Amino acid sequence: MNLAKARGALLTFSGALGVALVLIALIMLSLDKAPLAAGRRFLDGVFGTPSARADVVMAALPMLLCAAGLLLTFTAGLWNIGVEGQVTMGAIFATIIARTIPRDVSEWGILAALILPAELLLAMLGGALWAGLTALLKLRGGINEIFGGVALNFISVNILLSLVNGPWRVGTFPQTAPFASAALLPRHPELRLSPLAIAIALIAFGAVFMALRGTRFGLALRAIGRNAKSAGILGVRVERHILWAMIACGALAGLAGAFQVLFTRGRLLPNISGGIGFMGVLIVLLVGVRAAWVLPVALFVATVPVGSLKLATSLDSSVQIDAALGNVFQGALVLAVLIGGGIRARLAARRKERAEHG
Amino acid sequence: MHVELHHITKTFGGLRANDALSLSFAEGRIYALLGENGAGKSTLMKILSGYQPPDSGQILIDGRAVTFETPADALRCGIGMLHQDPLDVPNLTVLDNFMLGRREGLLPKRKAARAALEQHAARLGFHLDPFRYVDSLTIGERQQLEIVRLLSLGARLLILDEPTTGISAEQKQTLFSSLKRLAAQEGMTIILVSHKLEDVAALCEEVYVLRGGKLVGHRHMPTSIDELVTLMFGQSLPPPARRQSALGEEILRAEAVSLTARRLTVRDLWLSVRRGEVIGLAGLDGSGQSDFLRACAGLQPLNGGRILIGGIPIRGKGYAELLRMGVAYAPSGRLEEGLVDGLTLTEHFALARAGGAWINWRAMTALAAEQIGRYNIRGMPHSPVQTLSGGNQQRALIALLPENLRLLLLEDPTRGLDVESTAWVWQQLLARRDQGAAILFTSPDLDEIVTYSDRVLVFCDGRATLVSDLAASTRNPAEQLGELIGGKVYEPR
Ligand SMILES: Nc1ncnc2c1ncn2[C@@H]1O[C@H](COP(=O)(O)OP(=O)(O)OP(=O)(O)O)[C@@H](O)[C@H]1O
Ligand SMILES: [Mg+2]
Repeated sequence: MNLAKARGALLTFSGALGVALVLIALIMLSLDKAPLAAGRRFLDGVFGTPSARADVVMAALPMLLCAAGLLLTFTAGLWNIGVEGQVTMGAIFATIIARTIPRDVSEWGILAALILPAELLLAMLGGALWAGLTALLKLRGGINEIFGGVALNFISVNILLSLVNGPWRVGTFPQTAPFASAALLPRHPELRLSPLAIAIALIAFGAVFMALRGTRFGLALRAIGRNAKSAGILGVRVERHILWAMIACGALAGLAGAFQVLFTRGRLLPNISGGIGFMGVLIVLLVGVRAAWVLPVALFVATVPVGSLKLATSLDSSVQIDAALGNVFQGALVLAVLIGGGIRARLAARRKERAEHG
Repeated sequence: MHVELHHITKTFGGLRANDALSLSFAEGRIYALLGENGAGKSTLMKILSGYQPPDSGQILIDGRAVTFETPADALRCGIGMLHQDPLDVPNLTVLDNFMLGRREGLLPKRKAARAALEQHAARLGFHLDPFRYVDSLTIGERQQLEIVRLLSLGARLLILDEPTTGISAEQKQTLFSSLKRLAAQEGMTIILVSHKLEDVAALCEEVYVLRGGKLVGHRHMPTSIDELVTLMFGQSLPPPARRQSALGEEILRAEAVSLTARRLTVRDLWLSVRRGEVIGLAGLDGSGQSDFLRACAGLQPLNGGRILIGGIPIRGKGYAELLRMGVAYAPSGRLEEGLVDGLTLTEHFALARAGGAWINWRAMTALAAEQIGRYNIRGMPHSPVQTLSGGNQQRALIALLPENLRLLLLEDPTRGLDVESTAWVWQQLLARRDQGAAILFTSPDLDEIVTYSDRVLVFCDGRATLVSDLAASTRNPAEQLGELIGGKVYEPR
């Protein structure tokens, strides 16, 4: 991509950011809050301390995983809205092992080292299963992946609720007991940070990036996304590729679900995904399927829930807001970016025309 | 309406697609615009019809300079263009497509529109069912729809970019007589872009010839075809040579095949093809030739009977699998089905050629460059396919066919190719036949079928009749074929 284009994209993004910020400021003013002070508190809450920065990074990881998977499906022209359910299934599948791990595993020896890989693999399997189901509904049943995905999201939420209300419930709240530390992703001694999780997410993202760039699989997905009929005539096995793109995305989403239970929450509870699948969709929409931008945008998007949580728990009532305002901000931002992109495309067309006339 | 083009120039990157072209079109006359593939014909016509602006130069209508921002502007000034590739919306009905672009209130009047559709179609001698979906129409019918739509919107100058590629001889007759009537009786100006010099001779009164973006000739008809060819290519061409080669084992077998074509059902089709044979499939547009090709490629289900390739029934096998068995299919749809809009030539070759999981981009670029040279494609490895001229897209499609094939299924393989390229593409195809491939192809051009086929399968009224003694026939073989297509009963001698 050339420099001018990158600059244009950046400009659109900052413009959209400005619009979304102004909107949020107006809402806060109407609620008698102090937007500037809140803004300062927000920035402090996400960048101010090492622990704040660690929170942002860790919040970004599951989103990054979902976004990476969605890059594959969006490239193939698939709207994998079912990603949310795939995250949930990943969390559930990881819990199958995690909840059985005892506090003390010192006698397990080498087996103890297998706990985490087994959890992560099972989580990927769970997500992949759910995504594969969506793909089969599409390919064999003719059900659009959006509808199939929405239905499976609904089912996965209900499976989750019935588990944490039923057999897996421990105590008064509908949730499992906290998992033993041997079942969790290893933590940095001082910060709320898991270097292993960071490494896994980056490797997964790198793999997707490379797959899209340099492999036959990635090229085939691109061809399918643009014209599935022609891709078939060129010898691409369209159905198989659609199935694999969905399964890969589901596996990555399942991994994100595992991160939620094995690090962020440390147990399985309702709404375990917390919307990170949809955040993944937003990220991919924001970057317009340009893989390289996913990394910074995921970090940026992750500041919003982290920062708004800090505001929500603040004791100062002039900045204390509901965390839902963060979601409003995110929605407004995505809308503004999409509109900005549209305006930019139109301006570019007009400019080009004028240049050609002149 | 008198239209003049004045010093029109258009460049794409470093390429001068149109170089200071000045042409003039008088009312009520029929013009031809000729030139080899990539000469700049479509580019010029897109400028004239408001589809893209020129870099410099002027368009004058009755002496007044006009500029078009959009095709709708041009149409308001009376200039309408029928594109090389149909621009209609496939999953709408004929009537809906007709109503698109009409300037009406919020509530379109379907009844009035239908009346207008039928009236304009009748004026041209076309039959269009308003409620059919466009994707079930043949290319010829889609074209008729587009012409009717343009006329109803007030076109006074009609541009037809290769209208006879992909339509049947019968549809061509109808089209030409309507065009002649429009010009003579209603003062319509017509510009025909074509590679078929017989068509030009049959229809046009004046000819402009482009070469490399420049105007190299302006002639009044009649002009000899030889002279036109010399103008187009800078030399005249020898007729293609034909070679006889020994036949190999049976590669394709159709037993009691029955399948549904667009208009009718073909029943009880039997065929056996051996390696090294060329079989032409002839018939009126939509009589089942293309459907049979697609069925042999595993792209269309059969109602009954079976097809075997190399002795193996293909039922349940997808195209990708057949491709690995040495069967390849090349459709005539180009950007609709065959090439992927937005991917470059290199990316197409990378997709079409088998290989490992990783793509060696350097090797693929080299391969693309080599194939570009071999198939004489005007383009670069990094050119997105949609920027290639129509004929060059067709060449790319042929170049993409894998090596070592046993059976080639080609739908109108020389669609949109100039005379020279047609001969050249056939040379390539026949070379593959000599290496042991069998070829099945359809063509609306009976001469092409007669010239290259060893046997012809004639589709008519739901029957498929094999004709094997065309070349031996003493009468004009193309004429005899035409009669068979039209329904005359075949009597082998
Ligand atoms: N949008 C574009 N971008 C880049 N190059 C283009 C574009 N459109 C056309 N060209 C180039 O301009 C040249 C002329 O193309 P044009 O389509 O006018 O040829 P043509 O005479 O219609 O050929 P054909 O008979 O094959 O249809 C070709 O080399 C083509 O690759
Ligand atoms: Mg053209």
